[in-house]
Amino acid sequence: MTDQYVNLGEAIKKGDVETGVSESLLLVERGVKPIEIFSECIEPTLAVIGDQFSRLEIFLPEMINSAEVVKAIQNEFKPLMEADQETISKGKIVIATVSGDLHDIGKNIVKAMLEVNGFEVNDLGVDVETKTILKSARDADADIIALSALMIPSLPFVKDVIDFIEANEEARSRFKVMVGGGPVNREWADEAGADGYGDDAIEAVDVAYRLIDAPA
Amino acid sequence: MNSNWLPEIVKRSESGPFMKEADFDMAIAKRVPELIQEFGLTYDPNVLVPSDDDLANRVFQAGLELFLEMGAYNMSTQRRALFTRDEVEEAVALAPKDFTLGEGKDAVLMRHRGVESNIPCVIHSGPTGTPCSEQFHPFILESCAQEPLVDCLGGGSISTYMGEKIIPGTPLEILGVQRDAAVAREATRKAGRPGMHINDVASPLTCAGKISTINPEWGLRPTDGLLVSQMVELKTDYDQLSRAARMKTVGMHIVDLMTPLVGGLGGGPQGTAIVTIACHLLGVMCYSASYHIYGHMHLLESTDTDRMGLWIYSVGGQALAMNTPIQMINAIYTQAGLGTEEVLWEIAAASVASTVCGIHQGGVGATGGSKEDHTSGLENRFNAQVSHSSLGMSRDEANGFVMEFLSHYEESHKNPPPGKSFSKIYKLDPLEPTEEWQDIYNKVSEAIVATGLDIRNKWKKAQR
Repeated sequence: MTDQYVNLGEAIKKGDVETGVSESLLLVERGVKPIEIFSECIEPTLAVIGDQFSRLEIFLPEMINSAEVVKAIQNEFKPLMEADQETISKGKIVIATVSGDLHDIGKNIVKAMLEVNGFEVNDLGVDVETKTILKSARDADADIIALSALMIPSLPFVKDVIDFIEANEEARSRFKVMVGGGPVNREWADEAGADGYGDDAIEAVDVAYRLIDAPA
Repeated sequence: MNSNWLPEIVKRSESGPFMKEADFDMAIAKRVPELIQEFGLTYDPNVLVPSDDDLANRVFQAGLELFLEMGAYNMSTQRRALFTRDEVEEAVALAPKDFTLGEGKDAVLMRHRGVESNIPCVIHSGPTGTPCSEQFHPFILESCAQEPLVDCLGGGSISTYMGEKIIPGTPLEILGVQRDAAVAREATRKAGRPGMHINDVASPLTCAGKISTINPEWGLRPTDGLLVSQMVELKTDYDQLSRAARMKTVGMHIVDLMTPLVGGLGGGPQGTAIVTIACHLLGVMCYSASYHIYGHMHLLESTDTDRMGLWIYSVGGQALAMNTPIQMINAIYTQAGLGTEEVLWEIAAASVASTVCGIHQGGVGATGGSKEDHTSGLENRFNAQVSHSSLGMSRDEANGFVMEFLSHYEESHKNPPPGKSFSKIYKLDPLEPTEEWQDIYNKVSEAIVATGLDIRNKWKKAQR
């Protein structure tokens, strides 16, 4: 990373939204294109943050704060990039903890990791019914539906969403489904018909990249 | 607490400050680091059982401040129930200090334990956070209940009923959890200890499921308990509060379950200790709990036997033991699988740290509770022996043992041995450990005796 990005990188690491946005705009004023700022500074910085989090050298609040800085910069850049017909979004994801399950921390970690990796994430919260998940995915024009469950008895509700999509041609052609959470494992995900499974938040990002690139 | 706060909790849940859940989370994440600074809380990874009363007191004060500022978040109304300092201090003062668990000859007195206490820990057991198969669940519970040093039994959770997946909110949930309660009661009866306290039946997801386990004829009795959960962090809802309402009326023991996540909203060890204190206060105010499950967990590894987890047991335990009459039990979540040497070393470290710092023993969840049937009676016997042999030990001495025990498994946390499930390490007739599991238990026990902690004999002196 070149010297011009030092301040921005530090602002992202510290979760300093104000400095992050002002430094980004300063770089644009100097003629650096937003897409270059993302590829040359923001993405490498976020890769470091994700790596530190995977070893718990930093904690969830720090990662969420970094994601907030990046989201704020994305918002500032959006009109500039739309004018240039460029995009920094890696894809749109709707994420939820399924019906009957009130656990949100795993979902929140995955959400933060996806956001810091450039995905647009619409978080529906916890205890979300199948029909709400599907409606929200349609409304958001999502590429991926990400489902979380922490309790074994919640697993049928994960399957319910997958089955609903399988049974609906239009939904099947639009959405990929990735799953994760304490009681979910690779075998269960395969059996249930999920398109992807992440053992942790780091793998979830890899899975999301793969699903976005996969043909519908 | 003898007073009934539930009407007031509902009132405040309906009228308290509205806040989006994500904003509540971020408010905790923002405030905790400030409290760490304000109270000067430091973490030394090389001193996992600090002998520092002042540090423990400051952790308690920081946790109290956090709870007073944040209150309890009711997810049903998206409002915060707030409490004054006087209200919290009064409720804490009224929290039960001593009470009886179970009945008849099998009853045990659960007493408040101070730091470096000689009062023996009550030994809870059962499939702590560990799912069981329908086939082996009865044997697993019986293997725990028949252990002479075990005082209480957890009912565990099973995800099927007659082979069918249980869907919460359906009749299968009710049928399944009633079966689980009956199996737990039967396990105590078969072990010749029909009055043993059962601390929970973990399968039900709904309030209806939970309270359908209560039936003195075949299931849970007023002398038993059920868990009422907090959601991460400092959150409750009407479903959980309704469980507390029913149990309070029945006269059962309300068991407050919390899972503060190390590396989560509270950040590192100091912050998670602060959140843990605040969670206990929530359990006092909202649930009127008899006792609390001190259940923090590593965010990524689902364990509490790493350095941070052990420190949180030590410091938070001291904070609560010195500043409140609150009764708490641990929940030892290991990285290693069942039937391994590492799982026993992990148990030993957590057992010493929590025993010396005022916490009772709550059972073991091998593999972080992630693998079916990774639970048996023998590791609970081992836990009891280590705990009872640590009574009256100084914190400094405990720190030496904990650091020594840690050296036997810390490296394995990166790639934990998978171990074996119950059916591979227990014989069913007679119900006892296989030679392999018994040999591992013997080997680690001898190694611990060699470190200077005579777990073969010293437990016999516990004034149970």
